[in-house]
Amino acid sequence: MVGPLHYLFLAAALFALGALGVVVRRNALIVLMSIELMLNAVNLTFLTFSRFPLVRVAPTQTGFLSGHTAVFFVIAVAAAEAAVGLAIVIAVFRSRTTVNVDEFDSLKF
Amino acid sequence: MEVSWLYLIFLLPLLGAAVNGLLGRWLPKATLYAIALLVVLLSFCIGLFAWLQIARLEGEAAQLHQTVFTWFSVGSLKVDLGLAFDRLSGTLVLVVTGVGFLIHLYSVGYMEEDPAQWRYFAYLNLFVSMMLILVLADNLVAMFVGWEGVGLCSYLLIGFWYDDETKAYAGRKAFVVNRIGDFGFLIGIFVVYLYTGQVSFHALRLAPLSLGVASAAAALLFVGATGKSAQLPLYVWLPDAMAGPTPVSALIHAATMVTAGVYMVARLSFLYVQAPGVMAVVAIIGILTALIAALIGTSQMDIKKVLAYSTVSQLGYMFIGVGVGAFAAGTAHLITHAFFKACLFLCSGAVMHGLHGEQNMAKMGGLRRAGLKQTATTFFVATVAITGVFPISGFFSKDEILARALNTRAFDFLTAWNPEWTNVPVLRPLLVGLSQTRLTFLGSTVYVVGTLTALITSFYMWRCYRLTFEGEYRGPHEVHPHESPWVMTVPLWILAGLSILAALIVLPWHGLSFTWEHFTEGVFARPRGGAPAERLPQWLAFGIALAVAWTGYLVARWLYAPGLQGDEKLSSALPRLRRTLANALYVDAFYDWAVSKPLFATARGLWRVVDATLIDGLLINGSAQAVAAAGSALRRFQNGDVQRYAAVTAVGVLILVYVFLVRG
Repeated sequence: MVGPLHYLFLAAALFALGALGVVVRRNALIVLMSIELMLNAVNLTFLTFSRFPLVRVAPTQTGFLSGHTAVFFVIAVAAAEAAVGLAIVIAVFRSRTTVNVDEFDSLKF
Repeated sequence: MEVSWLYLIFLLPLLGAAVNGLLGRWLPKATLYAIALLVVLLSFCIGLFAWLQIARLEGEAAQLHQTVFTWFSVGSLKVDLGLAFDRLSGTLVLVVTGVGFLIHLYSVGYMEEDPAQWRYFAYLNLFVSMMLILVLADNLVAMFVGWEGVGLCSYLLIGFWYDDETKAYAGRKAFVVNRIGDFGFLIGIFVVYLYTGQVSFHALRLAPLSLGVASAAAALLFVGATGKSAQLPLYVWLPDAMAGPTPVSALIHAATMVTAGVYMVARLSFLYVQAPGVMAVVAIIGILTALIAALIGTSQMDIKKVLAYSTVSQLGYMFIGVGVGAFAAGTAHLITHAFFKACLFLCSGAVMHGLHGEQNMAKMGGLRRAGLKQTATTFFVATVAITGVFPISGFFSKDEILARALNTRAFDFLTAWNPEWTNVPVLRPLLVGLSQTRLTFLGSTVYVVGTLTALITSFYMWRCYRLTFEGEYRGPHEVHPHESPWVMTVPLWILAGLSILAALIVLPWHGLSFTWEHFTEGVFARPRGGAPAERLPQWLAFGIALAVAWTGYLVARWLYAPGLQGDEKLSSALPRLRRTLANALYVDAFYDWAVSKPLFATARGLWRVVDATLIDGLLINGSAQAVAAAGSALRRFQNGDVQRYAAVTAVGVLILVYVFLVRG
């Protein structure tokens, strides 16, 4: 029987992979993709708790579908973020001819 | 008698100072003069009106009083701006405003060319106002306001031509030296208040004081007087104060402000008679100052310096007077001195005016025949008054002081030491011997030294007169001496006339009802020791005084008949003495070495070590440098690598998770 723990461990694994990707990968596109992975890991956590709530909520009560609602918001924000992020990566590539994040270090002292 | 208009006396000049000081720059000259002169003349008229009123009243009632307002009130201390117009302060009001008006008038001619006249007349009016507050005040605190105010005006006017470094320095010196004295004065007020809880003269007169408190207060207040009235050891500022415009020297540094110390002692006569030891000190300081300043005066070449040392010396005489308990004689000399010394100073101003600013007597001579006949005549009259070759005002007032010093009994019961003061074994027999010595000889000593000083006074004043006005003209040929305009000569004549007329109030026949002594009956306290003795017949005392004055005159006449050769003769006869005296006994150099230099060295040390190194270096720049160093060490962490930030953040989150979830 697949319980909430399975989903949560999967989400944690995805989040950790995503975080690792953000920290270690050098290609800006891959970093963006890793961020998507982390967002979706969060989505999975939301849905898990929506499916297996800790406190029973009747369908008529406020909060019954709040997990699902949050997920839709996250997907919308992730889409916007992907659009803006890709646009920034392209703009940076045009001026620096590289997408290697190690070389994006002008924001310092 | 309580009146409501006394405050006008000092308020009018204050108003004049405000108008001229704030708007004078844009006022036409005629308006400026009109305001400055009118306010002083008006307060003279009000003073005269008040004076005529109190002259008709008798005894304790002969006083006008006004409480203008309560200045402040803290706990049991209540200080009013109270004015008391009695026979002493009232007469001084007339002297201050009268002589002050003449000098304002004179200044119109003297300061004709100066571009900053508005400033000059504003200061002068402010000075008159402050002097009137000093004289009229009915308590110590209000008197202190005037006391400081005249000091401020003196500073402003000595350094009036402030773009000349030496003149600005003279102004600062006067202020600083006066501050030293004022410190003593202030402490004196504190002592008086601490032990009596009173500051007004009327209340203090009735307050019982122990000998110790009275002596401490009197001595401390006298420290203030030595500063303001240029006595040993604080007289050094007055000769330098001659850097100011000459009318200022006449008004402030001869006629009025410098007599404030004498006035204060006379006003507080009830306090001083309770401290006979301090009175002895006052008399000793007075006689020493009179002698030393007169000696220095014999060797000065600058005409104003001669008059300045003469002022110091005459102030010494006044202090002898108040010191031996002859308060009336001391203040009478104050008044007569105001007339003849103002006249002398204004004459020296007229000489400088006629010679385009020349002050060196070596470049004068023969000025009486060279066109300054009026100046020479008035200077002659004033010189007669100060030296006493013919009995007019100065003769009688000075000899009254000396006779009172000789005859005084104020010190008869004093001993030089009190055996209870010490138990030091070796010193004790010596001091016990001292304690059995009565100071009866003090009065006679003062008389002898004072008579000697009168001889020197006669000598240096006639030297000054002869070098300036007699003999041949020694100045450069391109300078043509000329007489001053009428605004300057008229004050000279009036003051010369007053120098003669003032003899009336100091005539020595005690039956006369209009003499100063009779007029101020009841104003002054009587010294302890009883009525003065008659140690010398009056006719003999006058004979000695006349002989002394004539000796000085004849010696000066004989030595300086040919002109400057007299100085050369003296210099070759007594070279070292002359040089020492010409350098004013090196007192300035000594103060420089003993006080100024160590003070400057200490200040420099504090500046270098404490200020520059410790405060600026360690605390201010040090803390800034520590912050900067910490910043540059910490900025290594901000390398611009977003991934590094993210990694650090993630590690931080993991630590937080561990701390709060796993361990907690």
